This record gives sequence, structure tokens and C-alpha cells, in this order.
Amino acid sequence: MTMATEKDINEQIAWAKINTDVLRSMENPRPAYWVTVAVCVAMISVAVFAEYIQYTEGMGYANLNNPHMWDLYIASFVFWIGMSHSGTLLSAILHLMHSDWRKPIYRFAEAMTTFSLLTAGLFPIIHLGRVWNMYWVLPYVSDRGHWPNFRSPLAWDAFAISTYLSASMLFLFIGMIPDLAICRDHGKGWRKKLYTVLALGWEGNDRQWRHFRKTYLLMACFLIPLAVSVHSIVSADFAMAIMPGWHVTSFPPYFVAGALYSGCAAIITLFVLLRYFFRFEDYMTLPIMEKTAKLTFAIAMVWTYLNLVEFASIWYGHNVYDKELLIAKATGAYAPIFWSMIFLGSVLPFTLAFRSLRRHMPTMFVVSILLNVGMFFERWMIVAPTLSLSQEPHQWDVMWGSVVEWGIVFGSFGWFGLLFLIFVKVFPSVSMYEVKEMVFHRQRSAGEEDLIRMTDHTQPATETAGGEESK
Amino acid sequence: MSLDNILNNWSDYRKGAEEGGHHDYEHRWTMAINLDVCIGCNACSVACYAENNLAVVGKERFEKGQAMHWMRIERYWDQAADMEHPEQGASFLPMLCQQCGAATCEPVCPVAATYHTPDGLNAQVYNRCIGSRYCSNNCPFRVRYFNFYSYYESAWPSPMEQQLNPDISVRDKGVMEKCTFCVQRIRTVKDRAKMEDRSVVDGEAMTACAQACPTSAIVFGDTMDESSAVSQLWKKHQVKRGTYQSTRGEKANPNLRGYRIFEELNVDPSIMYLERVREDV
Amino acid sequence: MSGKMNRRSFLKMMGWGGAGAALSGCDLPSTVTLEEGKEEVVSYLMPEEFVIPGVGVWYSSTCMQCSAGCGIHGRVREGRVLKLEGNPDAALNNGKLCMMGQAGVQGHYSPDRIVAPLMRSGGNLAPVSWDKALAVLNEKLGATNGDRFAWFTGTISGHQLALVSNHLDAMGSTKHFAHDVVNNAVSQAVNKDMLGEANPRLRLDKAKMVVSFGADFMGAGQSPVHYAGQYAKFRTAKQRGLLVQIEPKMSLTGGSADLWLAIKPGTEGVLALGIANLLLNKIKVSDAGIPSGVRKLIDRYDVTKVAKITGVAGHRIQRVAQLLTERSPSLVLAGATVEGHAHGYDSVAAVMMLNHILGNVGKTIESSGNFPFPQLMAKQGNTSDLVEFAAAASGKKLDAVIFSGSNPVYSAPAALNLSDAIGNIGFKVAISQFMDETTALADLVLPAASYLEDWGTQVPATQAERSAIYVQQPLMEPLHPDTRGLGDIILTLLKQRKTAEYGQFDDYYAYLRNAFAAMPAAVKKNTKNNNEFWDAALQTGVINLDVPAKKLKSTVVSFAEPISEVGDADANGLYLLPSPRMGLLDGRHANLPWLQEAPDQISKVVWDSWAEIHPTTAAKLGIGNGDKIKISTHSGSIELHTVLLKGMHANAIAVPLGQGHDDYGRYAKGLGVNPLKILDATRETKTGELAMYGTQVQVTRVAPPERLGIVRLGSSDTQAGRKLVVTVPVEQLRRTEGA
Repeated sequence: MTMATEKDINEQIAWAKINTDVLRSMENPRPAYWVTVAVCVAMISVAVFAEYIQYTEGMGYANLNNPHMWDLYIASFVFWIGMSHSGTLLSAILHLMHSDWRKPIYRFAEAMTTFSLLTAGLFPIIHLGRVWNMYWVLPYVSDRGHWPNFRSPLAWDAFAISTYLSASMLFLFIGMIPDLAICRDHGKGWRKKLYTVLALGWEGNDRQWRHFRKTYLLMACFLIPLAVSVHSIVSADFAMAIMPGWHVTSFPPYFVAGALYSGCAAIITLFVLLRYFFRFEDYMTLPIMEKTAKLTFAIAMVWTYLNLVEFASIWYGHNVYDKELLIAKATGAYAPIFWSMIFLGSVLPFTLAFRSLRRHMPTMFVVSILLNVGMFFERWMIVAPTLSLSQEPHQWDVMWGSVVEWGIVFGSFGWFGLLFLIFVKVFPSVSMYEVKEMVFHRQRSAGEEDLIRMTDHTQPATETAGGEESK
Repeated sequence: MSLDNILNNWSDYRKGAEEGGHHDYEHRWTMAINLDVCIGCNACSVACYAENNLAVVGKERFEKGQAMHWMRIERYWDQAADMEHPEQGASFLPMLCQQCGAATCEPVCPVAATYHTPDGLNAQVYNRCIGSRYCSNNCPFRVRYFNFYSYYESAWPSPMEQQLNPDISVRDKGVMEKCTFCVQRIRTVKDRAKMEDRSVVDGEAMTACAQACPTSAIVFGDTMDESSAVSQLWKKHQVKRGTYQSTRGEKANPNLRGYRIFEELNVDPSIMYLERVREDV
Repeated sequence: MSGKMNRRSFLKMMGWGGAGAALSGCDLPSTVTLEEGKEEVVSYLMPEEFVIPGVGVWYSSTCMQCSAGCGIHGRVREGRVLKLEGNPDAALNNGKLCMMGQAGVQGHYSPDRIVAPLMRSGGNLAPVSWDKALAVLNEKLGATNGDRFAWFTGTISGHQLALVSNHLDAMGSTKHFAHDVVNNAVSQAVNKDMLGEANPRLRLDKAKMVVSFGADFMGAGQSPVHYAGQYAKFRTAKQRGLLVQIEPKMSLTGGSADLWLAIKPGTEGVLALGIANLLLNKIKVSDAGIPSGVRKLIDRYDVTKVAKITGVAGHRIQRVAQLLTERSPSLVLAGATVEGHAHGYDSVAAVMMLNHILGNVGKTIESSGNFPFPQLMAKQGNTSDLVEFAAAASGKKLDAVIFSGSNPVYSAPAALNLSDAIGNIGFKVAISQFMDETTALADLVLPAASYLEDWGTQVPATQAERSAIYVQQPLMEPLHPDTRGLGDIILTLLKQRKTAEYGQFDDYYAYLRNAFAAMPAAVKKNTKNNNEFWDAALQTGVINLDVPAKKLKSTVVSFAEPISEVGDADANGLYLLPSPRMGLLDGRHANLPWLQEAPDQISKVVWDSWAEIHPTTAAKLGIGNGDKIKISTHSGSIELHTVLLKGMHANAIAVPLGQGHDDYGRYAKGLGVNPLKILDATRETKTGELAMYGTQVQVTRVAPPERLGIVRLGSSDTQAGRKLVVTVPVEQLRRTEGA
């Protein structure tokens, strides 16, 4: 089998066309876009109704009970926090590593970070018994001398998430400034006004570019440790507890790996969607999809490894409570969920090892969604079984969420989707200036590449520039 | 609001957090429960409902696991699986908040609504609680109960609300609650002692459960008072306060019946149980 | 004072008739000293002398939640009673109180109280004024007399009983039916025959070993708190007492046994004979005082045969017999499961005979002495009165009946056809706090005050080491102004008949004060005058009596073979055990939410009825845990869910009493089933009691488990290897804490 070295992007693509394609995407998407928006709104209304019941009547309507004080809300919280790691990974890490194939797809990945954080942030609020007092976890200056409990991982969460949210929003915004200027120059009506304000007077002069580059790099450097710490802190919600199955030392890396995993899978999902909605075949090309898929596969294997490490250390650790819990996960009431998680998280990624599947958009769409279902199960299997099976056998209980609980979880996907869809409609979801950079750099290095190709006889030269996807 | 005030509070807070709670206890309210005479009759549990304004939740919510019994009697069958009958009867365990000295619920509360008092109690400040329920998740005894609903109308239809104890509040939805060792009774006794310019006498402060127990299986008192009945019992059974790390649960005479549940978890429970005795016939 | 009365009739009127002690003069105190007819709104800014805002004050009274009559303290704050605790001055319960007593406040504050007199008009009960109600009552009772009038009560004692008796006298009737499902009437009969006293004092605290044949003395017994206190002493004595419980269904008491033995229902007497056989023939204990017929009976039951009949292993029987001789004095008790068969008297006699053989009489069974005021002594409820009442009603022998403190329509087996029979009674009056099944059939309903609003005296049948009269006083003003105390109502009825004698008493309070004033000086002891005596009685809640010690006779009556033909023949027969539990008891507490939500002590089920079956029996019948089953008898069937429990004999199926109310307020209505309904109306041959535990049933599976079928506390029956409740052998205790 011969591997064709496809180009990530058609180097011959005209800069003007990039502008036109991206700007057009903000005007007239396919009808499927509007259908999806409607679905998202419907999902949100389900959640709003469920939350209304829960707010007015009490948390009991979520079927929470004495051992199961937490359930899907916290699982969803962890899930969405995990999702938010995609943007950071693609943007910041790949930026620092000079992987320029990230450029057509990082913008929406960053947007995803922001919106999944906004979704994740809802859950600790929704799950509070007294939502109206949620600001008490913040260290605001109170004359009564009330402080939050700085020893509580939940208080850390509040700090970590708010920091991460503001940093990643800033990162998204900074990276968008040159594009916003383009939008401003082409925009009309309310768009013109909006972009004028947001572009911050970008003129594209040399001084602005130099400051811009530095700021962007700085933000990228700042964001990476932040992202790692955020999910480590989220893992501390569990790891700092005394409960079997939660009190696990390897939780921080495990959570970070899981986060990157679900983030990558979500990128694939949205990649397919945007490519279809906005006819972005020229930018979201198959080679880029392949690279993303390979990355996902690699992270899936890291996650699998960490899972096995955890199981093995529990097995050989001989902590009765931990072992009992592990066995119960595999054989008890939650076993179907547990094994689904193992299958979806560790076995299903092997589909990504096949080139033909990687290049088949519908397959990738379904697989990436299933991977995230697996990751949702993972979070659920962290939260629920421990509570169902703690030290005190008298209170053992298996609990399944109510319509209210599932409704809110369900609605959170609508909420995320709607925010995301609004974003891609209002802001350029492909970074115009960076794609131009990418095309420019590729063109300039093409000569060198041809030279290599001529000397390397194992690889035939590709004849078409732009590949099949340019149609 | 003055800056001084805030800074002082902050340094107080830091000191408390760094030094790990109280060291200068005024009282150390403690319990001893003799499982050999506990007959599992529920008198303590109902007394607790009466004293502490506990809501009755009804069948549906009980089934969901949302009952509010601060004091629950656990019943275990200790027999080989092939035994035809439980020939040594049932094992009853009155389970309530153990008022741990190194409580796992305290550090995890994001708003410090649960904290350690100078009385050695594990206090729950209802007004401060925002209902994150982390404390309950981190309680190995599972003795924290959450108000999943508002009960002030449904559990006490008029005129039942007239029975409510005015010394403590009726908790609304979204608040965690648990056994307080009848803190309102302790408070009354301490106030009276203070007014009469004396110290609290052993037996004066009594929880509702200990008061009700028909077999006097529950002994309650202050272990700071060396002569109190409960001090004597702890001493007699050689159970020491402190975490397992410091005491290793060691006793000079291992045949003595005193023990604490989940001692190995290092939580330093304030309740000593005395082993159930059975005669092999 | 009325000149028409002589001393004797006065004493009778005052409830002290028959008092042997010397009497003081009858200096009647002035009655109510508080200003009358004045009503003012008094702000708590100027509180009354005895009310301190924010401070709870404890007042003594007496618990009426069951017939045990424990002394209570009620915490009163700002005029409301908040919490009940045991009265430390009451020797019966020593400051302790059971769950049913604790829940008394909930009945008092129940939202389902009847708050006005109700009269039947056009088929429905409609509110009327007290004047109207009393006028109708006067008219209707005036139209009847003699034995066509009756009182139907539960266990009743003290001055309320004296007034009821006096009212019956005034009506010329002798019909006082006293009904209680939870009773020990058969044991009383046996005790009377063998010991000369129906309710001797049982001293668990003096026993080294207790063998209880189905006596749930700490659960649904005659005085659970009293015996639980004794049990604690029994267990914590230098030599820890040994409890052997032999019963077909594990009771609360059985849960604490060192040795719990399952026995085939109805064969307890046989086991007692087997033990007696071993004691007399093998261990060679003297058989003095045993009638020859009984001796022959004993000889016919050797261990092998007994083991076969009872299902109790032979070596266990031998060991128990052996221990009984080693641990002297011991105490052998018989409970409801022994009494509740057609041969109940014989079985109880066989069991009580063991006390005679072992020489326990006089040591752990003491005389309760001659109570000085026989008129006040408890008239204990039973079930034979229920049967007789049903017969009298269906025979149209009753014109008017007053019901109080009992709910026969709920507790009568369907076979007695009581709810139809009761329709034959021309005029039915119910004095009741709640719309229970009986009250719902009444023609006139008089709203009763709760026991926390009422005056009274209680004389429990089971007395502590020191006999006492327990005083009941209102702990607060009536919650509902239109309710009246039982004493007040009876007094009003008496005034209608005997105006001359009873007209002098404004109310029951005045009557009681007079009665107390008329007490013999020996009782008043150190108090200077009647007011002081009255105050002292209210303060302590107890009038302790010095009852001279008496010796019990120890005899054995002749009794028949304690076994039924049917039970012996059908090895697979399933007996229905309608078991009362500490909690809802006989159903009277089903309207108290605390008790509904308090789990059953053994099965841990809440808010429902359930059937307890042994797993092997269930397997044989193809029934799983939580399945819905149908239990059928000749008289009907009930459907409920199962709880598989190893603390059961394979031939028994237990259904707790208390649920299955058609009425009785929001907390009771529509929950569970009432097993009493399907019982056969078989009667115990000697006492005429209903043989409550003698009904055989058919059981079929109806449906698999449902979501709200069985709701119970706790999900694990085992400790899963944790050190939660640790059990140690008694030898270890002896090394460290023992003698």
C-alpha cells in the first residue's frame, strides 16, 4: 500500500477566496444549520422546565438521595470541563509545537473550550441545594468575616474554572482580532458596528502584529499549565475525598487525559458538522481530519493505559473498599455502563486506525459521538458507583436519575450547541489570517519539498494540488 | 466594614485552618453506646424526631432514600449463610453522626458551613449551607441528611406545627442537616450553669436519644469532665480519643469491649460502641 | 355534701370503694380557685407567673398510648406541649419512654382530630352543638335500661373506670365490654388458677435466665418500657442473664436473644412438657405439686417426640433444660403466640408449670399484693368480650352502646360479622378523637380531648416493684375548644341519671379533687392537707402505695394436652401470625406519621403491611422476596408483598397488625392490609378468647415485586466484613467485666 502525501490544504487557494468563503459562511449556511439551532432550542427548553421544577420543589426531583448526593450533574460538570480541553490542546500546544495544520480548525476548537466551560459552569450551580447563595463560594469581602473554605476542592473549583474561563475567552478573542478587522471591513449594519468595537482598531500594521504575536504566544504558554491544573483540581473533588474509588492518586493525569480525549473527539464531531454546514471542504480537509483522528487515537491509548494502571493498583493494593467497588463496577448494577465505557473508550478508537474510516465523514461523525458517550459514561462511573457502595453497607443503594436530572443533562448539550452555533454564525469559525499564513508558508516551502520528493523514490509525487476534496 | 476587621478575620481563619481546628476544648461531648443492651426498639429514633423537628417524608420519598432520620437503627443478621435461623438474634446498631474529631465532612465544605466547635461538636450551620452536599459524600458513616424538599408545610399540617421545638429551626429545602448531639439542650444547660456560676454537672446535658433509651444503652456526657460516667466508660474500655494514626487503636486489654466504628479511617469518632455479647448455648 | 349518700356509696362514687385502709374525714376543698368566666388576652410581655417565655417547663402526667400507663413528663413552652419523656418518679418506666409514648404529641396535634360533636342525619354525620348532642344522648339513654345498654371500651382503669362502672350502675346494666387485641387474657386466667393472681410481678432483673415462649415483653407486651428496664438490669448483672426466646416469628425481644429457637406454631405447650419431662425424669427435679394427670401427660412427651412435633432440635431442648437447672432462679414466660390457639390455656399452663417445677414462684414471680382500690384496678381488654359483643349485637340484645378507647369494627375478624351486627344497635355513641372505623358507624360522635388535655388516673395492670396510681393532668389547654375529656363526658352522663349525687361536681377536675381529698390518710402520707397532697400528686405524677407483701401460691392446675389435632396432622400447614409490633401496635397508632416512618425493628419495613416468610417456605411456594402474594382463609383474603426472613418458622407466615384502615385520617387510610379481618373466629376453649394465632392459610403468588411494594430502611442485611456491630462470646465479657 502506498501512502499518498496529501497536502493539508490547497496551496494555490487565493487569499481573496479565503475571505469570501469564510465571510460567506457567516451569511448563508445550509438549512441543516437552522434545523440544528431549532433542535438546540428545544433541548434547552426541556432543561429550563426541569430546572424550574427542581428550583421550586427541591433537589429531590432529581432522584438524588442519601448515598447519592451527587450524580449526573457532577458527572456532566466533569464531562464538559473535559470537553473544554480541546481548544487549549489544539490551539496552544500545537501552536507552540508549530504544527500549522491546526490553523483551519483551531478557532472553533477554542470556541468550544469557551462554551463547554460555560456549560460546565452551569452544573455546579444547578446542583446546589440553594442556588441563590452560590456566590458564597467566592472570597468576596464580607464584614461578617465570612470566607469560603479554602481547604475545600469545591472552592478551588470555583477559582480554577473562573480563571480558566476568562483566560480561554481572552485567548479566543485575541486570536480573532485580525479576523474581526476583516469582518469589520466587509461588514454592514449591526455587524459592522459590532466588529468595529471588537476589532479594537486593528489596522494590520507592523507594530500591532508584533504585539499581537507576543500576546498570543504568552497566552498560549499561560493556558497550557492552566488547563492541566484545572482538570487536576476537578479531579481533586474526588481524589481529596476519603471515599473508595475517589481517593485515587492517579486521578489528576487520568482526568487530564480523559479531558483531552473527549475534547479531541468533540473536535472531530464539530469538524464534520461545520464542514457540512458552511461548505468548508477547502479548509477542513481530509488530511487535517486524519491528523486529528490520529491524535485522538494516541490520547485514547494514554487514557486506556491510565485506566489499567488504576485497576491494577486497586487490585494489587488490597484495599478492601476499593477492590469491592471495582468488582461491583464490573459486575453490579452499573456493569452495563461500565463495560460500555470500556468498549467505547478503549476498543472503539481502533476504528481510527483505519485510513478509509478516517476519511469517511459520516463514520467519523458517529464514532466521535460514541467516543464522547463513552467519556460521559466514564465520568458517570466515577461519580455514581462510589456513592452507591461506600464504607457503610447499610446505606448502599443504586440510583438512576429521574426525568428532571436527565432533562437538564440533555438540555446542556442544547445549550452548548446553541452557543456554538450562534458563535459560528457571528464570528469567523475558520481563522482567515492564519489560513492565509499557512497557504503562504506552504507555497514558499513547496520548492524545497519538491526537491525532497525527487530524491525520495519511495513516494510518488502528488499530481493534483488541492486534492479531491476541492471538487 | 473596616479593613482591620477583614484582615483580622482572615488571619483568624488562616490560623484555624493551618492548625487544624480546636485545641482548647471547653467540653468534649461524647457518647458510649452499649450494643449488648440495645434492643433496637426505635425509642431513640422517635425521640430524635420529636426533639429536632425532623420531617416525616412519606413512603414514596423513603423509598427513594430521602428520609431524614438522624438516628437510625441498623439491623444486621450475623450468621453463616447456611444457618436456617438467626439463632443469636439480630444485631442492632444505632447509627448517628459520630461527631468526629477529625471529621472528613469539615474540610470539603466550600463555604465552611460545617465546622468544629470548642465543644467538640461537628456543627452544621444551616444558614451558611448552600447545599453542595460534598460533606455527605465524604462521610463514611452516611449520617448526613439533605433537605431534598421543603417540608414545613407537608410534614407538619396544621396544627402539627405547634409541636415543633422552638429552640431549633425547621430546615428548608437545599440544606444539609444531621445529628447535633442535641446542641440546643447542651446550650440550655450551659447557659443555666453560667447563670448559676458553676460548671456543668454530669448528667445535666442529655441528648433526647440517651434520655429515651429504655435500656439506658446510650450514655452521654463530657469527657473533659474526668468523673463523668462517659469518661469512666471510655477509660474502663481503654478507648482513647485521637486518630488511628496516633492511637493505633491499642488497648492494654484487647478483651475490653469498647471500639469505634471505622477507626482505621482516622476520623476520630466521638462515639464508642461496646461490643454485643452473646452466649453460645 | 349530699345527705342522701352514705359513706359506702360515697366511696364507691369516688372510686375508692373497697379500700381497707383507714379514711380521713371528707373535707372537700373549694373547687376551682381561678377566676371563672373571665377571659383576657394576656400578652407575654406580662407573662403569668408559671409561664416564662422561652423556657420549657416539664409537667408530669401519664401516658395513654398503650395500656401500660407509664409516667411521663411533658415539656410545655408558651402553653404548648412539645415533647414527652419518661417520668423519673414513675417506678414503672424510670424516666424512660418508648417510641409509641414519644409519638403521643402527634396524636394530640393530629390534623385529623374530630373537633365538634357529630350526629347522624340522613345517613351522614353532621356537626351539632354539645347541647343538642347531650340532649339527644339523654333522650336515647333514657329510653333504654338494664343490659340493653352497654359500654364498649379498651383497657380502662382509674377514675374513668370508676365513673364508667357507676354509670353502668345508674343505667342498671352490667354490660361493660373491654376489648384489646394486644392482651394477655389467657395468661391471666392461668396465673389466676395457678398462682392466685392474674397479674403477678415478673422480675426479670432477679432472674439469671429467662426462657420466653413467644413473650414479646420488650415489644408489643403489657409494659414494654418496664420490662426493657428490667432486661437492662438482667443483662448488665454481674452474671449476665441468659435469654432464650422460643417463638414461631422473631419478635423485637427475640432479636435480643442469646438463643432464638423457631417453633412450630401451637406446639409451645408440647415443648414445655418436653422440658418438664427432662427436668423430672432425667435431671430428677421434684415433681411435688404436679397433678397426676399432668404428670402422665409429661411422661408421654420424651425429647424425641417433642423434637418431632415442635421442630426444635432435641439437643437444644436438652441444653435448655440443663441450663434452667444451672441458672436458678430463672423465669419462664408465655406470650401471645402461645395463648392464641384453641388450646392456648393448656399451652400456657404447661409453660407456667415450668416455673413451679424450677421453684421460680416467689423468686422471680412475686405477688403484686392486694391493690387497696379494686374499683380503680384496670379492666383489661380481651377478645372474648369482642365475640360476646358481636353475638349480643347480632342477637339484637343491645339498644344503646357507648364506644370509647377501642376500635372493634377494625379489629374484629370478618367472621364475626361485626360491622353488620353493629347496625342492629339502635343508638351508637362514640367518644373519640379520630374518625376511626367504629366512630364512622356511630350515630352520635362526641369529640374527645386528647390525653394531654385531660384529667385522669391510671392504674396499670402491670405494676412496678411499688404499686402506684399514675396521675394524668392536662399539659395544655384544649387545642380544640369543642372537645371534652372522657371523665367530663361520663360525669355529664351520670349527672343526667343521678343529678343529686353528681350535680355537686362542676367538672371532672372537681370530681377528681374530691376523690383525692377522700383518699385514706395512709396514702396521703406526709402531706399536711389535701391541697398539698393534690399538688404533690400532680408534681410527681405518681401516688405510690404501700401494698403489704403477700406470698404467692405455687400450684399446677390440671390441663389437657396442649396441642391441636389439626396442627399436628398437617405438616405443611401455614399458620397466619397477626403479630402486633412496638409501633403501630394493634392499629391505634397508624395515624401517627412518626410511627409509620419508624421502621419495623426486625424487617425494617415502613409505611405498609408485609408478609414475613421463611426463605425455604417461600421457595417451596415459588415465592421470591418482595413478590406480591395472596393469603386466603375461609373468611377472605389479603394481598401484600413478602419479606423473606430467616427469623421465622417454616410453618408460619407473619403479617403485622396496624395497617389496612378504611378510615382513621390521612396517615392511616389506604395503607396496607388488616390481617385481623381474615382470621377464623375460633375460640380458646377455656377462656373464650379468640385463637388469634390458630388460623391456617393458603398462600399463592400474585405478582413480581413492584417499586413501592416493600419500602424499607437499609439495603444490606450483612455488615459486608466491616466491624460495625461486633459480637463477642460471653466468656470474654466474664474475663473483663464479669464476676
